[in-house]
Order: sequence, then C-alpha cells, then structure tokens
Amino acid sequence: MSDPQADASRSAPLPHLQMVNVWKRFGEGERQTVAVRNVDLSIAPGEFVTLIGPSGCGKSTLFSMIAGLLPPDADGSVLLGGKVQQDGQLLGKVSFMPQKDLLFPWRTVLDNATLALEVEGMPKNKARARAEALFPEFGLKGFERHYPHQLSGGMRQRVALMRTFLFERDLILLDEPFGALDALTRAMMQRWLLDIWAKHRRTVLFITHDIDEAIFLGDKVVVMTARPGTVKCEERITLPRPRDGDIVTTPEFTSIKRKLLAIVEEESMKTFAAAS
Amino acid sequence: MASRLSLVQGALPVFAALAILLLVWQFGAALLEIPTYILPRPAEIVATAITKSGLLGDALYVTLVEAVAGFLIGAAAGILLAVLMMLAPPVEAVLMPVAIVINAVPSVAFVPLVLLWFGLGMASKIAIGALAVVFVVLLNLLAGLKRPEVEAINLMRSFGAGPLGILFRLRFPAAMPQLVTGLRVGLARSTIAVIVAEMMGAYSGIGQVIYQATGQVDYLTVWAAVFVAMLGSLALYGVLVAIDRKLVWWR
Repeated sequence: MSDPQADASRSAPLPHLQMVNVWKRFGEGERQTVAVRNVDLSIAPGEFVTLIGPSGCGKSTLFSMIAGLLPPDADGSVLLGGKVQQDGQLLGKVSFMPQKDLLFPWRTVLDNATLALEVEGMPKNKARARAEALFPEFGLKGFERHYPHQLSGGMRQRVALMRTFLFERDLILLDEPFGALDALTRAMMQRWLLDIWAKHRRTVLFITHDIDEAIFLGDKVVVMTARPGTVKCEERITLPRPRDGDIVTTPEFTSIKRKLLAIVEEESMKTFAAAS
Repeated sequence: MASRLSLVQGALPVFAALAILLLVWQFGAALLEIPTYILPRPAEIVATAITKSGLLGDALYVTLVEAVAGFLIGAAAGILLAVLMMLAPPVEAVLMPVAIVINAVPSVAFVPLVLLWFGLGMASKIAIGALAVVFVVLLNLLAGLKRPEVEAINLMRSFGAGPLGILFRLRFPAAMPQLVTGLRVGLARSTIAVIVAEMMGAYSGIGQVIYQATGQVDYLTVWAAVFVAMLGSLALYGVLVAIDRKLVWWR
C-alpha cells in the first residue's frame, strides 16, 4: 500500500491535471457555436472530482479534450503533470470510459477487459493473467468466457470499468458510467466504485447529471453552466470517508445538496429558456 | 459438435423439399402427359447423368476448379482493395468510381475480351470468375469496415491505437458479417460467370457440355448437366456456410 513513489506524487504541489482558459468552438463565422468557454480546472493527484451540469453544456466535449480526442482551441491549454499537452499528445495517457460500454461483441468478457493492454502490445497470456486477477474484485468471477450479450447492464458496465482500470493510467475519466442503470444497481455500483478507488487511488474525473451521485462520490463537485459551458463553481465535499449508503440522509449531505440543486436548477432553466 | 449437428438439421428440410419437388415433377409430368422432349422426367435425367457420369464428372471438376480459383483470387483482390481504400481515402476517391462503372456491366459481357486475352483454357474462366467476385467482396467489406461508431474508434484512439490497430482489432471483426455476405454472393456469381463463359468458348466444363448437347438437340444431357451443376454449387455453398460459422462465431 505504502508505495514511496505514489506517496511522493501525492504530496507534490503540482496538480495532476490542469486546464487553463480552455475553449472549444465549432464551425466558422455566423454559424459558429461555442461548446466550451474559458474553463479553468485543476485536479490534485488522487482526487475524486465529479462534474455536473445541464445536458448539452459541453461536459462530453471537455472530456474529449482531456482524453486527447479533440484538440482545444489555441487560446488555452491542458496540462498533465505540469506539462502542456500538444494536439494528440494526450492519446494513450488517460484512461477514458465513454458513456456507452462499447464492449466488442466478438470478444469474450476476458478479452474485452484486456483490449487496452493488447493495444499497448502486451502479450496475450500476460494481459489475460493480469485481468483474471481482477475478476473477483469486479464481481465478474466465472464470467470470463461469456460474451457481452450474455451479461446484464450492470455487469457490462463493470467489464467496461475493468477495461478502463486495466489501462493503467493515473488519471481516469468516467463519462456517466452509471447513467443507464436502474437506481438500485446504480447505488451498489457507486459504493463499489468508491471501494475500488480507495484501494487503487487513481485520480478520477467523473461526469454525471445526478447531484446525489456527484456529492456521494466526490472530494470536489464542479458545476458547469449552460451552453456554452464553463465552470460555474466548485464545491469541496468534506463528508468523511469511507462513505456509507445512508450518508445521503444526513443533514450535512442534504444541506450541500440543497445548495448545489439551486445552482444547477438555475442553469437548467437557462437552457430551457434558450430552447423555447 | 453442436454446430455440425445443426448444419445437418439445417440441410434436412432442403433435401426433403427437393425430394418432394422431384416426386411432384415425376408424377405430375406423367399425369399431364407432357412430352418428354419438352420436360423430361427426373428419373430419365438421373439415368442420363449416370450413363454420362464420366463426361459430366470431368466437366464438373473443371468448372468447380475454375469457379473456386476465380472466387479465391477475386475475394483476395476485393479484400486487399477494401483495406487499401479504408487506410487511404484518396485511393477510394480515385478507384471507387472506376469500380462502380466496371461493376455496372455484367461481368459476363467481358467474356469475349477475356477469351481473346487468356485463350479458351481455364485461365480465361478463372479471370471471369474473379472479376465477378471482386466488386461484391470489395463493396460489402468496405461498408463493413466503415460500420464501427465514432465512439468505438475514439475508445481505441484513447488507448493509443493507430490506424492499423483500429483496423485489425475493431474494423475487421466488426466487418465479418458483411464480408461473409459478400463471399456468399461472390461464390454464386463466380459459378454463374464461369458456366456462362464456358458456353461461349471452352475445351471442357459444364457450360461447354450444355452448349454441345444443345447443338446436338440432346436435351436430356443438358438437363443432366444442369442437375450436376446444381449439386456442385450446393456442395460449395455448404462448405462456405461452414466457413461463415467460423468467421462470425459470436452470433
């Protein structure tokens, strides 16, 4: 557990990820739309940051830029470990899990989990051995040779998460990973994710549109404005860890929720007004 | 094991339907008193096929070798072209219109030219067979290779995969069902093209047997040759279905 290197990086003053005046505009001239404007965001090593905002506020665009899939406009920059990342340099440096599970139907659960390792060039046997060790922890023991269509939604999501975790990068981006799950499964998955995170201590940036989820999981909740999206405010969540499921009924939780709800609703109303 | 069993089970209704068709034909033709020179009875056709089995067997062998060789060459060329077009879009922009123009004409229309270039032997039939296959495989595979959604491609990119990694780990497996469709259609087209080419000029083959028997007004032999050709195509198709199941194993 007490890996000296990890400890050193945690106490380092450098933020793990930093966005400085990041903009993203699509199109030219009159038809230009601004998806993301003037985003400044900083995430410390090992921090669990959740990001909420009204739908269409540019959360996913922001994620694509952090994953290196989309270059930010020239105004600003994305820094990883203090270094400015040029176009495409972030590809392969960040573990990214998109909204859909995107499991490949022709691969078994095991081979879906090892996809990123294979891309990195790890021999198949070694990749499989590494993945197999994680199966019990991810609640998938016994399903190694199944195909994705044989799994439930919650299990598919866990396979996708395992694929993301096996791509061992210090920064993990999760884009509404539990959005499609029913409430019960979702609550279970949230607690389980916190366990996994506590054990592996990676830096996590987690998109959600569920305020409860954002508060329950995060060290810090970042609220985005309506489109064009920018950071409206950041709320540090000081609820003690480890957090139990019933923490959501405590007065502390409720008061944070009330505060955030007011902010998010204000922004949602703006999108609504703009649309009608 | 299970798939072999289901293959037999899948073939059973086909044979049952064929048997019923032949019985209805045999007794229906007799009942309606249709003259044999217009519609011979299946029993006569089978008898002719047996007496001429030497000639028909040799002819079928030549035709199948030509059809399979043409199919293999055409399929390989189609796969190669599809990959090339996928990796280098300018190649697609230049070659695709040419391919579409050539494909707009039935491949059989090229037979006289191909006979002129490759002679009356097997080479010309193989060339025509290949021509009949290459575009179906190319068009189907290319459509399949382009099928993966942007999100899946982005996922691969986020893992650091380049165009080749995306091609082999994502695009190719995703395109398998479409490739299989292309191969099935291609094999049928190759067999048709080869037989028609043989009718227009050849030393041997089912098409040539049909052509010569027609000249001699020997319609029983024509029928027998058609029967044998049908059996041959059926066998080829069976082999291909078995291969398909290997290529698209996850369904």
